[in-house]
Amino acid sequence: MKIQAIQIVRLALILVAVGNPALQALSTAIPHGTVELVAEHNSIQPGNNFQVGLKFQLEKGWHIYWINPGDAGQPPRVTWNLPPGLSAGDILWPYPKALSAFSLVDFGYEDEVLLLVPMQASTSLKPTAQTNLSADIKLIVCQDVCIPGKTSLSLSLPVTAQAPAANTSARVSFESARQKIPKPAPASWKFSVADRKDSFYLNVVVGRPIKEAFFFPLEESQIENATPQKVLPSKSGFAVALKKSRQLTKPIQRLRGVLLLGDKAYNINAPVARTN
Amino acid sequence: MKRTILQTSLVLLTIIFLVSQIFAAKVGDPAPLFTGNASNGKTYNLSNLQGKFVVLEWHNQGCPYTEKHYDSGNMQKLQKEWTGKGVEWFTVISSAQGTQGYVSSNDENSYLSKMKAAPTAALLDPSGQIGHMYGAKTTPHMFIINPKGVLIYDGAIDDRPTTDKSDINGAKNYVSLALEEAMSGKPVSTATTRPYGCSVKYSN
Repeated sequence: MKIQAIQIVRLALILVAVGNPALQALSTAIPHGTVELVAEHNSIQPGNNFQVGLKFQLEKGWHIYWINPGDAGQPPRVTWNLPPGLSAGDILWPYPKALSAFSLVDFGYEDEVLLLVPMQASTSLKPTAQTNLSADIKLIVCQDVCIPGKTSLSLSLPVTAQAPAANTSARVSFESARQKIPKPAPASWKFSVADRKDSFYLNVVVGRPIKEAFFFPLEESQIENATPQKVLPSKSGFAVALKKSRQLTKPIQRLRGVLLLGDKAYNINAPVARTN
Repeated sequence: MKRTILQTSLVLLTIIFLVSQIFAAKVGDPAPLFTGNASNGKTYNLSNLQGKFVVLEWHNQGCPYTEKHYDSGNMQKLQKEWTGKGVEWFTVISSAQGTQGYVSSNDENSYLSKMKAAPTAALLDPSGQIGHMYGAKTTPHMFIINPKGVLIYDGAIDDRPTTDKSDINGAKNYVSLALEEAMSGKPVSTATTRPYGCSVKYSN
């Protein structure tokens, strides 16, 4: 009886796979993990921009890197090969995790991450049964040690005049990936940065005291990634003290990065004032 | 007894951390003085090298970024070229015992001869003392000290932060550029860059 149930489930899985070949994007191997190209919708409609996802799954303890990798490493690089009428935008990086090892700090992703990539679909795209989106990926996967890898991914989707239906199996992962992409901060919040001696103080006014925050710098070599960030709560927000990088020899005009408050991430681009 | 060892290590680690915070090298400042034990059995003291240009190259033979520059022969070429012009070139290995890149003197000597590497010497720094003094983060991570003992370059070997050997051709080599400029009496145009590579495997 049990065996029968398992067989039915297997048969059902095979039918799903056969019935929907486009969405069975194959996951390919990378060092200590896999990556696959995932569609959010079952088809492409001319003139209707969409997003695809690069889904990385990594063995426990291994990581890949954010756009600013921190003290070591390198983010994955993607080269797209797309049919005429489709063009890819830049990766929408979800906020990373600060990964500490050997008295250094890297910014990256462990376990699983979906990197969303916007795709522009021209109105001149011609309907077709299958169009192929493919990407070459070069990356480095690290634990204590690092292993470089490269692979090619592809995804076939029909181009149809109708509005595309959602790929229901990917809905949850696309939604949760979107929540991790940094948003613009609310218009009422105020940001300023004071350059004082060996630190930058990022002052944030949000209308309530904040005790915990973390700042991920977008630019390399501006702050010491491994120096603990000190959060100084105030009545209406907080300041976070960021130790200047030893490598910083000139004043900077703006501080850009991602501010993480709980599980909400915000884009920061604030002018720096020297106060001494 | 166990507790004493633990306490001693904690105190030592705190001291190393504090020292590295206070003295971490900065371009334009005097380079931190160090004494290093080399795989060739000699001891090198930076203060005895005044009057010469000194290059420090952080190294881990198992790191793919290091392999890019050694398997292609790029690092050896730089070592030969610049030691030929009177530069003292030190490969520094700060991997702690039990981590990738840690080597005994014998291991390192065989590696140097197998790779036809030509540094002045390879300094073994398993305690990470020299690494922390300079704030070496990656392998490779390059530093240049001028004949007055001032740090004049801190950063990457070149402008192509990848593990691909094919990226060496056409890359802008920051070390050669800085040495050329400094030797002809010019200020170093690119004195700091973000070093790229694997993290240095310090003991922690």
